[in-house]
Amino acid sequence: MNAAIIFVLLLVLMLTGMPISISLGLTVLTFLFTMTTVPIESVALKLFTGIEKFEIMAIPFFILAGNFLTHGGVARRMINFAASMVGHWHGGLALAGVMACALFAAVSGSSPATVVAIGSIILPAMVKQGYPKGFGAGVITTSGALGILIPPSIVMVMYSVSTNTSVGQLFMAGVIPGLLLAICLGLTTWFLARKHNYPRMPKASWKERWGYFRKSAWGLLLIVIVMGGIYTGMFTPTEAAAVSAMYAFVVAVFVYKDMSLAKVPKVLLDSAAMSAMLLYIITNAVLFSFLMTSENIPQAMAGWIMDKGFGMISFLLVVNVLLLMAGNVMEPSSIVLIMAPILFPVAMKLGIDPVHFGIIMVVNMEVGMCHPPVGLNLYVASGITKMGITELTIAVMPWLLTMIAFLLLITYVPQISTWLPQLVYK
Amino acid sequence: MKFLDHLEEWLIAFLMGTATLITFITVLHRYASGFPIPVVQDALIKINLSWAQELTIYMFVWMAKFGAAYGVRMGIHVGVDVLINKMNMPWRNKFVVLGLLSGALFTGIVAVLGSKFVWSLAHTDQTSSDLEVPMWIVYLAIPLGSSLISFRFLQVAWTFVRTGELPKHDHSHVDGLEEEVKA
Repeated sequence: MNAAIIFVLLLVLMLTGMPISISLGLTVLTFLFTMTTVPIESVALKLFTGIEKFEIMAIPFFILAGNFLTHGGVARRMINFAASMVGHWHGGLALAGVMACALFAAVSGSSPATVVAIGSIILPAMVKQGYPKGFGAGVITTSGALGILIPPSIVMVMYSVSTNTSVGQLFMAGVIPGLLLAICLGLTTWFLARKHNYPRMPKASWKERWGYFRKSAWGLLLIVIVMGGIYTGMFTPTEAAAVSAMYAFVVAVFVYKDMSLAKVPKVLLDSAAMSAMLLYIITNAVLFSFLMTSENIPQAMAGWIMDKGFGMISFLLVVNVLLLMAGNVMEPSSIVLIMAPILFPVAMKLGIDPVHFGIIMVVNMEVGMCHPPVGLNLYVASGITKMGITELTIAVMPWLLTMIAFLLLITYVPQISTWLPQLVYK
Repeated sequence: MKFLDHLEEWLIAFLMGTATLITFITVLHRYASGFPIPVVQDALIKINLSWAQELTIYMFVWMAKFGAAYGVRMGIHVGVDVLINKMNMPWRNKFVVLGLLSGALFTGIVAVLGSKFVWSLAHTDQTSSDLEVPMWIVYLAIPLGSSLISFRFLQVAWTFVRTGELPKHDHSHVDGLEEEVKA
């Protein structure tokens, strides 16, 4: 009964359009004032201690690192490099789009920013080469979502915060699925391009490739620093994030010179505002999950599901549908923070690997960003291509279906996610 | 008012930058003191940076509260707006105001609870474990920050009622794109 009240209240408050953090907080307060004996003072304490963990501080650092490198110049270098590597195949420039999106999204950490940065540069070029507009839009909208699977990923840090799973293992687990999804999207592009005979670009020489690689390598090295640093045990994930932020600053200001020193305070301010927004959701999500735990809701749900005899297969199917639906109305971080504490205990009872479950959630978030009616990437892409949502929905279909097939693969073949972390963290 | 705006912006940018720098220096220090350079190593080992992690956390907690207030002003806190966007204008506007006032209400309540909490802490001699600052000063972020957020919500609501303007943050903004698109 209490569980029903909590969820209905939260749902109603959220649907009024108020910020997610506020609806979470008000749900908790209403419940505490009217229905329980948990002292209010402990709530005030939770509001502060909720984010008093060094692990959570990786989030602001990663956001800062990403913001330093979210720049048109960085996008251009990655597109040049990608085009020199894959441009000579069928649908060359579109394939380069997939690859550039994967690289830029991993470094910038933002899917919508990736769609805008790569899309604004590559789409006009594709139209000029004779591609239909919808083809390019479909490629970029879906590939832009690759970033949250390829480390460093803020959504993974969120999952690790709410379930106490190791960030290092999650990052490692994202590598193979991330590459695999990029390859799947690339293959879809290649088949379509071959069928319609879309243009190919002249093959670049190895000398040219090396030149473009050297220019984009400074940005890509960020991923290496984070992964290498965590893997070799040189730093903790949070330290890796801080080091990558410093590194990104040096690259943006002194190596690439895309950014003047005078712009740095603005980047700091923007990153701080973004981080504060996420930290505020975390604070309130921690309150919310504290309330749920004190009401024994996750345990009760887990018990109920076990009683009904739900197996792993049907549970995961329900999880996928639920997350895809949520993906329509909320952004990834909020979904993970609200859903993970509820679903995680059930998943554990059913014997699902915590890292694998995290990757399932992250892939769901990716698909959720690209699917109609209200995926965030669709909206952003509609802004830069001036195409309507319906038109774009048709355009993204081939890649969206690829992503959904990929989601099922990830869901039911845990080895794809768990093989690398188990190998590395033996 | 302008002064408060600038103070807020300056404070959170400063906290963000300094926290990054401190954590970076801690890592450098840890590795630098591992190199067997005679005098330097001794000097480095003598510097104790165990307080750095605690300081970073507290800086970010303060940044989170004041950054959230700045975010309200910038319209960065988004909610689920699919339903209200389908409504006609007068109804949608009512819900927007309701949302903003709810924000003010929640943060207002938290500010009051936080003040009580800090007040009771101030009468104890609790200090933080590494920095040894009195805990009530650290926790002062709750009442101060929450009051400011509450105030910002009211401010945005007032502007919206008067002018119909709502701050909107562009999550997909990318710098330096114009030059690249032309190129």
